Amino acid sequence: MEFFIQQLVNAISLGGIYALLALGLAVVFSIVGLINFAHGELMTVAGYGLFFAIGVSLGLPIAIVVAIFAAVAMALLIERVAFRPMRRADVTGLLLTSFAVSVILRVLFQNGISARGMPVPMPSALAGSIDLGFAHIGVIPLLSIVATAVSLGGLLLFLKHTVVGTAMRAAAQDFAVVRLMGIPANRVVAVAFAVSGVLAGVAAFLWVAQRGSVDPLMGFVPVLKAFVAAIIGGLGGLAGAVAGGFVLGFLEVACQAFLPAAILPYRDAFVLGIVILILVLRPEGLIPAQTGKRS
Amino acid sequence: MKLRLALLSLTALGALTFAAQAEDLKIGLASAQTGTLAFGDQPSLAGLQLAVDEINAAGGFGGKYKAVLDVKDTRSDTAATVQAAQELVASGINILITPCDADPSIAAGQISQPAKVVTFTFCGTTPTITSAVGDFMFGTYPADNAQATVLADYAHEKGYKTAYILKSPDSAYTLKLPEYFQQVFTKKGGTIAGEGTYSMGQQDFAAEVTKIKSLSPQPDVVMTSAYEPDFPAFIKQLRAAGVTSPVLGSDGIDTPTVAGLGDVVDGVIHSSAGLPSAGTPLEAFAKKFTEKTGKPFDTVYIANGYEIGLIIDAAVKAAGSLDPQALRDAVANLKDVEGVTGKITYAGTDRMPSRDIALVELKGGSRSLVKTATPNPADVPAP
Repeated sequence: MEFFIQQLVNAISLGGIYALLALGLAVVFSIVGLINFAHGELMTVAGYGLFFAIGVSLGLPIAIVVAIFAAVAMALLIERVAFRPMRRADVTGLLLTSFAVSVILRVLFQNGISARGMPVPMPSALAGSIDLGFAHIGVIPLLSIVATAVSLGGLLLFLKHTVVGTAMRAAAQDFAVVRLMGIPANRVVAVAFAVSGVLAGVAAFLWVAQRGSVDPLMGFVPVLKAFVAAIIGGLGGLAGAVAGGFVLGFLEVACQAFLPAAILPYRDAFVLGIVILILVLRPEGLIPAQTGKRS
Repeated sequence: MKLRLALLSLTALGALTFAAQAEDLKIGLASAQTGTLAFGDQPSLAGLQLAVDEINAAGGFGGKYKAVLDVKDTRSDTAATVQAAQELVASGINILITPCDADPSIAAGQISQPAKVVTFTFCGTTPTITSAVGDFMFGTYPADNAQATVLADYAHEKGYKTAYILKSPDSAYTLKLPEYFQQVFTKKGGTIAGEGTYSMGQQDFAAEVTKIKSLSPQPDVVMTSAYEPDFPAFIKQLRAAGVTSPVLGSDGIDTPTVAGLGDVVDGVIHSSAGLPSAGTPLEAFAKKFTEKTGKPFDTVYIANGYEIGLIIDAAVKAAGSLDPQALRDAVANLKDVEGVTGKITYAGTDRMPSRDIALVELKGGSRSLVKTATPNPADVPAP
């Protein structure tokens, strides 16, 4: 029973990180129709933010703020420099731009900082586990769950109760009409990127807290997982992205925990096989995005 | 007539230039200076560069050949490694150096072996690298099966009866080293309490760690050859889950990143090519490296790169020429080359050298020597 509860916590915690990442992709995709493969590099920027802030002993809470700010600043920068001039480009053009941005950033990290990983020491308080009587739960998984819940709640409030948030929800359905209402397009797009930066920053903190180091390539795996999660959920829908993230997290942990040792090496194949099955049954994803557009 | 004279003099000039170049020892590096293997290739190159500078200044390799390095970055990509190796071999190099991993090294070896170019892997440790390629391929770093033997011997000495091994089928290093450990450990009377697998780069070990935590009784020791970024993630999550079993690792975690993780890695013991403890030749080398380059000696890969320079020097001296076959035979017959981590011997091996292996313990962000050992050849599992 304890084993099961712990694996459940693991699944929620991992699913939460994937949900944050997928949400970061979905927020941008829903508005500009761009799958931002440089999202992983936003995480890397946040990771280096953590590294430098902890390096000058700023304390963890401030370091997290620095990390999130770094990711937001980078998100706004790449929107302004790379994606705004490409606004009218088709999906392929945007996709290639995002790959280019991703590669350029990685090379900058490698040549400007180091191609080798940098240790990010976390306070030892984060390394322990809490005894709940029926199970031992690690501090970091708990923190992941709390951070995910807070981020999701905050995003929901922002989207429902602010003008920009409302405009973003409307833009996700039909951007042209939103612009006819007199809402400046640039602002809506910039805010979408900023939100994706915040989500990348939070996810990066949780990711780095687990791995303990930051290197130029660290964003690659998470953005791939986020992409898979966003597709399962139904690309473009925010609720779908969250659902997709949790489904992927649960699948991965369940396979790791319960597959027999002999076939465990093929875990990823199993997970992706189930993903394909989901897509065969629901080609539009779990929760298809509501949009005025036809794909 | 004038034209013919001009042509003739041009040809002569060409021949002269060629002759001047032929006096150089051309070392081509298809090396992963960026990407996932940079952790080993970057410091290895820094060490090799120092050796080349020193030996050149002292009159050249074998006393007469000045070495020139031609470095091509492979971005840790196997296809790019093959391409770089092709370009280098076509440019007429005498020696090829390949990245710190079996896959790109074996792939590049397929180019250099038929061209009869002596090839070293920077710090690839898979013992099958040399047999998979052929007689021109050499390793320099302690081989996986030798490291695993020293680790298993240590586990046996400490009285550990049960071990949990964690491996990944994604690379030969992460798969075979724990399996070699398992072979020696069980042969000496230990039992395997369980084994787990992970995907490299996945970094979520929560499910795996929960499985270890639920083992009853807990294993006496946990052994893995995971390295960055997987090892830091694994050890952090293992300790966070409250598993206190000692952890044995391999040379892949011999990096400043792992030492910088803080008290979570305290007590981890891993194999290494050497440790610059007080009074050792390696310590003297570390000082010299810092003096000459201004960079800290933060990993033993630097010494390994330097030793490749020494090995090449010794081989060129023995061969007396840059003839490919003579050079190859010279390397294969080297005995007791005085390196900075100890003596290195190729004679009698299948081109993975026999050399000392250090066991080191991490504590408080630094490393201390547990012991130095050369594994008993009878115990080392066949590759």
